[in-house]
Amino acid sequence: MKLSNEKILSMYDTMLKIRKFEEKAMGLFAEGEIPGFVHLYLGEEAVATGACATLEADDFITSTHRGHGHIIAKGGDMNFMMAELYGKETGYCKGKGGSMHIADRSKGILGANGIVGAGHNIAAGAGLSVKHRGTDQVVLCFFGDGSTNQSTFHEALNLSSIWKLPVVFICENNGYGISMSQERHQAIKDIADRAVAYNIPGVTVDGNDVFAVYEAVNEATKRARKNQGPTLVECKTYRHRGHFEGDPTMYRTDEELQEWLEKDPVKRMEKFMLENGILGQEDLDSKTAAIDEVIATAVKFAQDSPKPSLESAVENVYSDIVEEVKVR
Amino acid sequence: MTTIGIIANPASGKDIRRLVSHATVIDNNEKVNIIERVILGAQTFGVKKIYVMPDSFMMGFKVMEKLELSGELNVEIEILDMKIKASPKDTQVAATMLEEMQVGCIVVLGGDGTHRLVAKAINKVPLIGISTGTNNAYPKMLEGTVAGMAAAAAATNAIDYETFCERDKIIEVSKNGELVDIALMDVVISDEIYIGAKAIWNLETIKHVIVSNCHPASIGFSAILGANIKIEETDDFGAALKINSGTNHFLAPIAAGSIVRVTSEEVQRINLGESFTLEPDYKGMIALDGEREVSFVKGDLLSFKILRNGPRHVVVNRILESALENGFFQR
Repeated sequence: MKLSNEKILSMYDTMLKIRKFEEKAMGLFAEGEIPGFVHLYLGEEAVATGACATLEADDFITSTHRGHGHIIAKGGDMNFMMAELYGKETGYCKGKGGSMHIADRSKGILGANGIVGAGHNIAAGAGLSVKHRGTDQVVLCFFGDGSTNQSTFHEALNLSSIWKLPVVFICENNGYGISMSQERHQAIKDIADRAVAYNIPGVTVDGNDVFAVYEAVNEATKRARKNQGPTLVECKTYRHRGHFEGDPTMYRTDEELQEWLEKDPVKRMEKFMLENGILGQEDLDSKTAAIDEVIATAVKFAQDSPKPSLESAVENVYSDIVEEVKVR
Repeated sequence: MTTIGIIANPASGKDIRRLVSHATVIDNNEKVNIIERVILGAQTFGVKKIYVMPDSFMMGFKVMEKLELSGELNVEIEILDMKIKASPKDTQVAATMLEEMQVGCIVVLGGDGTHRLVAKAINKVPLIGISTGTNNAYPKMLEGTVAGMAAAAAATNAIDYETFCERDKIIEVSKNGELVDIALMDVVISDEIYIGAKAIWNLETIKHVIVSNCHPASIGFSAILGANIKIEETDDFGAALKINSGTNHFLAPIAAGSIVRVTSEEVQRINLGESFTLEPDYKGMIALDGEREVSFVKGDLLSFKILRNGPRHVVVNRILESALENGFFQR
């Protein structure tokens, strides 16, 4: 498959935005600027980027607790994202959701989700909606290896297969469910093997190679748009940081981390572009500086934004909130 | 002691061709089952020790556990002492170890790509290939039990296996005069510029196909030549074909369930020891046995030489026919 230089550059932009956003979030969390938890996507940038690069604006994604990368790749606004991380009123969830609940219906982002495995059936539901409405939209469902032991994974694959729903299930297999290595939580190594049980195609690709992800997901979305049903795409990848910021990662070795750092998807992309004359080092440097500025703007936007009022604590929580709770 | 080795690629049979063609998925549990049958076939016919490549799915351990529990394990199984990288390097490392140990035979489970990696590492030890890949021209669809029996016949020296092995041809790939890699069956030159999902399938991007063997019953890119010419394993030549150019029109099965119309120029024969050269005016990738592996840029001098210095593979039917004549089954 051939990709234009414009497309390649656009994918690189997305990867770099994710990388820079996450690095900034890491620093801000360490400084105590960001409350709650953050689960960083550092090291997995190629998956969200390659997958979302196959989508149209009106397609959907569902995300996970490690969702910043998916949201940026689907066009989420980094100002609103950063404000949400800061817990500010201008954030995507008015500062009440935090890192793990960012959603933007206007962009087809059906939500990050703090519950492991909760996205599978939301994706299947969105797929059912597409089917009923008769459009050619697709739904990308991102999830980790750990969630494939949840019943929701199996329910969603089963129904999506039976009803031939336009859903692409994208497993970001980073080898660990929190601190539990994959070999300790399941008796298979390739999660794509599970597709066979639901009579759908399953493929495994190098999740640190944005082109490999793009090619596989592109073929899967083409199938979905042609009413040929769901696909399971497993992307082998690795998170550079712990499960959450503050995780001491005692369950993995420095050597293992080092091996994966050598396969860093952003560096691989940069090397590819330099070797193929798509970008020169100067262009690369100026792109990096430009994205640094975008991130700095997002941080400033978040810092300058007001905190939500105390009164708003019960607003937008329940759709039918009773009067007495409002009074309280 | 009579020994054999088993290399099973946990990654074979799962690539993107499940999406772009109608290729079968062969999951790792099925590979475990095949290994089990290879072991049962081999131990019954005199193999005393079997070395198995370790892998991330722990296929060797799973078979050992299963056969121990069922009380059917009568052979010593040793998992090779090597660090798993979960990459193609594992196959090459294991093949090198088995060649150094001079086991009697190596049984390989994988596709053309897996066998290419083994071919890079072995020379003396004979090979039996079982297809668990996608478009397999080199390994055959072979029952594991029979493969185990044939491996035993080769390894126990009950038969003069030299007579029943064929030395494979290979295609040496050089870039600007430097040997960069080999292919067993086919080389595809494409103007795609990245490795991506590795497997190659998009006919529109392909400029040339070079084969060591081809047959009308082949599948994959060698089938493009196979729709024009038959080149047997024993023939001392290969061939090249420029496609998406010329006036020769034909149909070829380039992937499982995918028969496409191809346009080409005339087939160019490449005799053993001779090279087919190209100096592309574009940048692109060279796919070896179906997988994008080597990049080149405009102006690079590419050279493809057909040689008969690949691995020796056991011709399973012939060795078992001879085994029959030599009383191999009379036990």
